[in-house]
Amino acid sequence: MAAATATILFPAGKVTVTGEADAEALWLAPAELAKAGGWELKPEGLCRGSLCVPVPPGASWARGRGADVRVDVSGLSRHMGQPVAASPEHATWSIGEAAEDVADRLRSLEAPDFTLPDLDGRMHTLSSFRGRKVFLLAWASW
Amino acid sequence: MTVITVALDSAGPAAAGEFIRATKPTHPSLIDAHYEVARAYNMVNVPTAVWIDEEGRIVRPNEMAFADNRWIEYTKFDMTRYLEAVRDWARRGTQSPYVLAAKERRRRLPLPTAEHALAAATFRLAEHLHETGHPEAAVLLFKRAQTLQPESWCFKRQAWALTDAEKFYGTNFQKEVAALAGRPYYTPLDLGG
Repeated sequence: MAAATATILFPAGKVTVTGEADAEALWLAPAELAKAGGWELKPEGLCRGSLCVPVPPGASWARGRGADVRVDVSGLSRHMGQPVAASPEHATWSIGEAAEDVADRLRSLEAPDFTLPDLDGRMHTLSSFRGRKVFLLAWASW
Repeated sequence: MTVITVALDSAGPAAAGEFIRATKPTHPSLIDAHYEVARAYNMVNVPTAVWIDEEGRIVRPNEMAFADNRWIEYTKFDMTRYLEAVRDWARRGTQSPYVLAAKERRRRLPLPTAEHALAAATFRLAEHLHETGHPEAAVLLFKRAQTLQPESWCFKRQAWALTDAEKFYGTNFQKEVAALAGRPYYTPLDLGG
């Protein structure tokens, strides 16, 4: 396995990382892990924001020690309940949001926020329309 | 009330642009090339509308929404009644009988399953591969997304639109509608009020 460039797609964007691919696994050093979903390796485990996940002994998605620590971001994401679709032959991984998180957000009845461009490339954010009723309509050219 | 339209189009401005330019909208008319809104709201067809109040809360979750009856063959509903409901809400806000109670809003939420979430991640991968010059790899992944969430007409019709549907998917829209054999294309509208 040699270090190679990989693309990780997220729902709203994408990043390029350097890692080692092994079938659907993508092994990253801690520095790359931060790019690949905001993970930081701390004594408590892998942390993202206020959430820390201890690395279980024998976890299939973590190996090595010290400077040689590597985390399979694909396996870690699945461990966190996130869906992962991979195309290793195209060095591309797609990591989505866990169904439970999407569902919890909808159950709160707060309209999920988004920022998208118009035809002129100008960005618009749903939450900037607070104070007005919004009729949100999705359509398609197909 | 502000109308915000969102085009679910992987091909982005190239696909949605001509329609937007033709209507010259005075409201925000946005382009969702990566299906972010479709995913977050778990939309399975278009046109789908969501009513959102001044506090940013969902008042009515996903519903088919047409402004007139040109597609009544598919909607099987007098959409002028829906348009009247929208106007009533715009005028009367929380006083409108078409504003659903919180319990009913929650009951109607299309909560995603793990399969739906994987379908969305798979679809994201597929549209990226298509966009970056790997259309045949994309077809395999679009098919996988369609299998994971078979009720999504978005995943089907967007994939068909990007290529020769007959050649790569062995079907087309007309055939799939015929296969419904009378079952509704759109989830029937339950206006309430």
